[in-house]
Amino acid sequence: MTKLETPAEISTPDQAEHRTVLTQRRQDRFARVEPKGKRVFTARERAEMLVDPGSFVEMTPLRTAGGGSGSGVVAGWGTTDGHAVVVVSHDAAVASGAIGAVMAESIQKAQRFAIDKGYPIVYINDSGGARIHDGIFALHGCGGIFANNIEAQKRIPQISLILGPCAGAAAYSPALTDWTVMVKEQGQMFLTGPEIVKAATGEDASAEDIGGSALHTTVSGVAHLAVDSEDEAFDATRLLLSFLPSHKGGAQKRHDSVPANPGAVERLPGLVPDKSSVVFDMNALLDGVLDNGARLELMPTHAPSILTLFGRLDGHAVGILANQPAARGGILDSKAAVKAARFVEFCGRFDLPVLTFVDVPGFLPGTVEEGRGIITHGAKLLKAYVETTSPKLTVVVRKAYGGAYIAMGAASLGADVNWAWSGSEIAVMGPGGAVALLHRRALKEAEEPTVLRDELAAVYREEVARPYIAAEAGIVDDVIMPEETRDRMAAALRMLTHESSR
Amino acid sequence: MFAARAEIVANVWKIVAREGDQVGVGDTLAVLESMKMEIPVYAEAAGFVSKILVEVGQIVQEGDPIMEIDETASA
Repeated sequence: MTKLETPAEISTPDQAEHRTVLTQRRQDRFARVEPKGKRVFTARERAEMLVDPGSFVEMTPLRTAGGGSGSGVVAGWGTTDGHAVVVVSHDAAVASGAIGAVMAESIQKAQRFAIDKGYPIVYINDSGGARIHDGIFALHGCGGIFANNIEAQKRIPQISLILGPCAGAAAYSPALTDWTVMVKEQGQMFLTGPEIVKAATGEDASAEDIGGSALHTTVSGVAHLAVDSEDEAFDATRLLLSFLPSHKGGAQKRHDSVPANPGAVERLPGLVPDKSSVVFDMNALLDGVLDNGARLELMPTHAPSILTLFGRLDGHAVGILANQPAARGGILDSKAAVKAARFVEFCGRFDLPVLTFVDVPGFLPGTVEEGRGIITHGAKLLKAYVETTSPKLTVVVRKAYGGAYIAMGAASLGADVNWAWSGSEIAVMGPGGAVALLHRRALKEAEEPTVLRDELAAVYREEVARPYIAAEAGIVDDVIMPEETRDRMAAALRMLTHESSR
Repeated sequence: MFAARAEIVANVWKIVAREGDQVGVGDTLAVLESMKMEIPVYAEAAGFVSKILVEVGQIVQEGDPIMEIDETASA
């Protein structure tokens, strides 16, 4: 057996030299590129501000797009409140954040990682769209990002922040994600910017006019929240993530139960005006039922006749859908139906219980709404409830008439539990309209039609519309008092989330 | 000058404020009736009611002006 010769000299690596080279490479890569325009922070700083301090790890930090310039994006992961999250942050200092082939590849890599490992992804958008110099390769890359966005919808929560002018592909990708937050007067989303709009159609409009937060969070509904600063956008993102599981089928975030606001609880029994035509603020009702604490309303200024928010009840993260009588009487119109359907569908996708508080005068009829396609849009809400398999709890707090009764998470659409407050009305139409139809001849011949109408309406209200009829038929599970609502919901949530069997 | 507008297609049910009235933010200027709901029209700014643009019983469309409020005249 030959003895293994020991080499005369073992070449030991010169770690000092390696370290120098790597340090230089990193310095070149992370050389602070001054943020352009109104921007204060770089792409990397934004990513670091979003996540827990010191938790950000960049994926492929040395990746370049050739010529030594950065890829145009900082992608990596970190944690928020200790929970892992993947972050993609456009680098507007590199070619205005325009998406070239390498940048698209880096974004897709982060998306693939988030989808495969099951973590939420936050996109910090600040990009002019596809990089023109990269031609078809840029377009191919952008399409790949979209395809991943769509695949991710089935698996992980996706949140988009709009922190600068986002055109074309940089506006489409957010539209394929779940929630979009815009910074006022700083973030815009449009197909194409003011110069090209002017050239294409002659329309003279500013970037804010065609894609600002005022337009998208109030009129178009393209974005879901407008905030004053980047800091607030990151706060809102962390708050939003605090309600969501990391991926479909992942554990729901459970917090300590916090009692409802004591003052609101005290006011709850007398809060809803007996007269069904008088408006009140649904938020005050929710205050008397939900945990007193973290809450996030989405789309507060778009279709305000319906409220969509995340909150907690007995520590469970829940999605809340409620008619808002204080805005447009609480009606359902095309925009409200689309807003509500999208919210219910999202909750279903991530197993969040849906709590529905009903006080709805109906779908808004007429030429304008029919022209907007209210039938199609209303149908989306029906479909969303039926297809949602997360726990569904519905309570009628005052009135629920006609098709809108069904659309607001009725038993027939698969609600797991249905209650009606003792003073509520459930009917095909409100007493006024029903009486006018049912007693047309009697009213025509009456000496004092308004007196007769009121009498008949009172009879109708008691004999047809009271919730006991629905409860006796088993369509409403039970009639409850306002102050019982919270405990009933908490007990149902414990049962429906299998908590009692854990 | 700003106009308080109808937030929904409706009947004008009651006109609460009168021309020349001083109003504060959140004051009810008029009440509309739509979908059997009494829908208040609130003042979004303080000032004087300079012009009432509708009559009781009139049909208004979403976005139609109900009253003009002169903010500069506010003392």
